[in-house]
Amino acid sequence: MADVKRDAPRPFDVKTVEYLLRLMSDHDLSEVDLKEGDQRIRLRKGPLTPPAGYAPAPAIGSSAPVVVPTATPSPTASKLLEIKSELPGTFYTRPAPDKPEFVKVGSKVSPDTVVCYVSAMKLNNEVRAGVSGTIVEVVARNDEFVDYGTVLFRVDPS
Amino acid sequence: MFHRILVANRGEIALRVIRACRDLGVEVAVVYSEADRDAPYLKLADQAICIGPPLAAESYLKPARIIAAAEGANADAIHPGYGFLSENSAFASMCRENGFEFIGPPAEAMHKLGNKNEAKQLAREAKVPTVPGSDGLITSEAEAIAFANKVGYPVLIKASAGGGGRGMRVARNDSTLLAGLSSARAEAEAAFKDGSIYLEKYLDRPRHVEVQLLGDQHGNVIHLYERDCSLQRRHQKLVEESPAPNLPDKVREAMCAAAVRLAKTAGYYSAGTCEFLVDQEHNFYFIEVNARIQVEHPVTELVTGVDLIREQIRVAAGEKLRFKQSDIKVHGAAIEARINAEDPANDFRPSPGTIKTWRPPGGPGVRIDSHVVTGYRVPPNYDSMVAKLLVYQPTRAEAFAVMRRALREFVVEGIHTTIPIHQRIFEAPEFAAGNVDTTYIERTLMDKK
Repeated sequence: MADVKRDAPRPFDVKTVEYLLRLMSDHDLSEVDLKEGDQRIRLRKGPLTPPAGYAPAPAIGSSAPVVVPTATPSPTASKLLEIKSELPGTFYTRPAPDKPEFVKVGSKVSPDTVVCYVSAMKLNNEVRAGVSGTIVEVVARNDEFVDYGTVLFRVDPS
Repeated sequence: MFHRILVANRGEIALRVIRACRDLGVEVAVVYSEADRDAPYLKLADQAICIGPPLAAESYLKPARIIAAAEGANADAIHPGYGFLSENSAFASMCRENGFEFIGPPAEAMHKLGNKNEAKQLAREAKVPTVPGSDGLITSEAEAIAFANKVGYPVLIKASAGGGGRGMRVARNDSTLLAGLSSARAEAEAAFKDGSIYLEKYLDRPRHVEVQLLGDQHGNVIHLYERDCSLQRRHQKLVEESPAPNLPDKVREAMCAAAVRLAKTAGYYSAGTCEFLVDQEHNFYFIEVNARIQVEHPVTELVTGVDLIREQIRVAAGEKLRFKQSDIKVHGAAIEARINAEDPANDFRPSPGTIKTWRPPGGPGVRIDSHVVTGYRVPPNYDSMVAKLLVYQPTRAEAFAVMRRALREFVVEGIHTTIPIHQRIFEAPEFAAGNVDTTYIERTLMDKK
């Protein structure tokens, strides 16, 4: 997934908001949370919050963000997504012991990215991410048995 | 003996197998679907493995997931219970090919007995009487008339491609036979894209009597006598008992011997049941073999003193049968009432939900096989049986008295159950007299509320 480009306009321009909305829609994100200095913009899809881009842009210099003002300055991450096992089997982080890992913390994934094997009956079942984002945690342990529904990875979708 | 067994089932039979493993000192793992995540019996196993979502087709019926779970559990054997994959010969083979003993019969015997035609063939080979049928499909009206007059009316017109009671009609004379033939053909063509039909003698008001079998891998097969399961509704058993009332000893001995012959001819081992229909003249006819342990197995356990699940595990582990036929004796009488989460007042509609109060009966002569506790949520995804209530007494009359007492004691709140219908069944004079057949429930108890 393409990161928000470094040369993108400052967060509170309408153009930027429109750009972010397009990004959200292109990558099927439900939430985007960005900070620059002490300015923060957070856009969340769903019935509680109307699309931010259709509200009038605030006057320049206003410190109010367009939507969802938040008091906490700390970088609360977007809600993390979980990649869960769809099968019982043994979790393998590499296609073979002498090959590199499919993904690691920091790896970018798209829905079709193969993130691991869950193997049973001598068959290696490829597990695809199903989501877009960055791997922030490898939850399951290599060569350990996982159940249906066991969390394998956590992904930051932003 | 096995080190660890994987139980590939759920509900009361999963609990039953877990208990048998504990009794034998064998470790046990159990699978579960997301719908059974809070099942209390999971904690009684050494390991519980989630294999899929609530839908049985995506969990309990997925052979690869069961085997994956057995690998993860380091099991050496898999017990399939009843239902689900227990009579799936491909699954039985798959278990063994992957290094897990399948606690049940050999795949080939299971496969042969699971095929109607092959089973009938084996029965003929073993000199076991079968329901007289037209040899092959009926292709002309003349053929049909000839057959019906040879075996005697009434006859049953059956769709060759049908099953589960579909596409069947009874004919009691030549004219209804001819009318029935054409309508059966048309219905079968529409339902199964195959209008082929055949005929069988129809048994009016038969009793359903089945024989419990147990065989080892050394060629020994014994029977553990019979159970009468005539009280059924829509081909689902409600009550089972042993011994079968009003069955002459000669008939009993002949049926049990026939069942053993059939098992030996098929190369069968492990537990299994041979089902017969018995007509009003006490002629018995082979129907089918259930190549697995059955729901009503505790009835036989109570009258013979043999723990069938433990013995099933022993023979699967290669041990010789610990009993000779002459060691098996029936003492007293045992009866089982299946308690389902269904509303008898509303056409037995399933009644899933949370059980607010669960107070099963106890005391002398009562055995409850159930996975349910207060607060248990009966999931809507599977069969509705919540408990098997069994009684065991020195005589049938005393067993009835204990059953009536136990049904009165049984308190269930939060869901509907079939307890009320059982209370009526155990007041029915025909049943007390041992004069019921497979049509009894539908004829007598279904009209009244």
